[in-house]
Amino acid sequence: MKFSIVVYAAPYSSEAASTAYNFVRTLLDEGHEIYRLFFFSDGVHNANSLVATPQDETNLQHGWDKLIRNHELDSVVCVTSAIKRGIVNQQEADRHGLVAASITDSSEISGLGQLIDAALNSDRVVNFG
Amino acid sequence: MNKSHSFTFITRSAPYGSNRPNLCLDTALAASVFEQQVNYIFMEDGVYQLLKNQDAGSINSKTLGNILETLNLYGVENIYICADAMEERNLSADDLVISAKLISNDEFKTILLDSNTVFNL
Amino acid sequence: MNILHTVSQSPKSRLLESCLNIVSDGDAILFIEDGVYYCKREDLLEQVTNTVKCFGLKEDLIARGLQIKGESTVENASYRKFVELCVNYDKVISWF
Repeated sequence: MKFSIVVYAAPYSSEAASTAYNFVRTLLDEGHEIYRLFFFSDGVHNANSLVATPQDETNLQHGWDKLIRNHELDSVVCVTSAIKRGIVNQQEADRHGLVAASITDSSEISGLGQLIDAALNSDRVVNFG
Repeated sequence: MNKSHSFTFITRSAPYGSNRPNLCLDTALAASVFEQQVNYIFMEDGVYQLLKNQDAGSINSKTLGNILETLNLYGVENIYICADAMEERNLSADDLVISAKLISNDEFKTILLDSNTVFNL
Repeated sequence: MNILHTVSQSPKSRLLESCLNIVSDGDAILFIEDGVYYCKREDLLEQVTNTVKCFGLKEDLIARGLQIKGESTVENASYRKFVELCVNYDKVISWF
């Protein structure tokens, strides 16, 4: 079955992003297809590459990045949510005069149309917030 | 692409205290651009988004009531308000910026049954 | 055309009560994250009719030192079961 997943929550402040991550891993293990991951609102922080965590703690952003790469998942962060939270690619960083790009390469920045497109093309949409 | 997809948006949070009403609205407007069926349901504290006389300039925000007043112009045609939510909060139609159909929980359930995708914020 | 509802906040949120307003016969409820504290509140679970199945996410229960006992109306569900429920019900509504 084809799933799309929406994540509204930042990592660490609440459990929701971690639940979403475990759910996506299980979906893939069970042989389901992910049409798209969509990071919305504070969820865009899951695609921040400029993070470091203590060695004995899980680095959820790295976890997502690895999962997205290994399974070649389509991963989108919402542009309006992302830019005001400092999640930018090089192009956006240049355009707004910001010192660095911050988004993990495995996710791309796009609009809410990608979320609607995901709903139209998936059997199930599951929200985590 | 399925052209007869039905989206239902449940907005159950008060305005300004969180961004949830805005997330819900933005997503619904995106769905209407795709010319899909869009149901928009105000539930619980969500009805406070529709109060008259809001002026969020005082807290450096955009006034949500003004935007919602024009919801139908953006292709969001099926707007509903939970009758229970109005009653619990002692609100009447005169208190709101729009007139929309009041629905019972049973009518609400029927709408959900007929929806393909539900966003609940 | 039944719905899986996920409830992810503790009983003080009254999310179950919100959800139950629009739950239909044959729907299911899965408690996740802090929502699993509902699994130990038989007094609140009494509001759920027996046509609606209730589940608690096992990993979240274990993390919080909670156990579902034999006589409970709630069933343990692993992440695999979570996925299976999403497949078996026609849509998922998240309460958070």
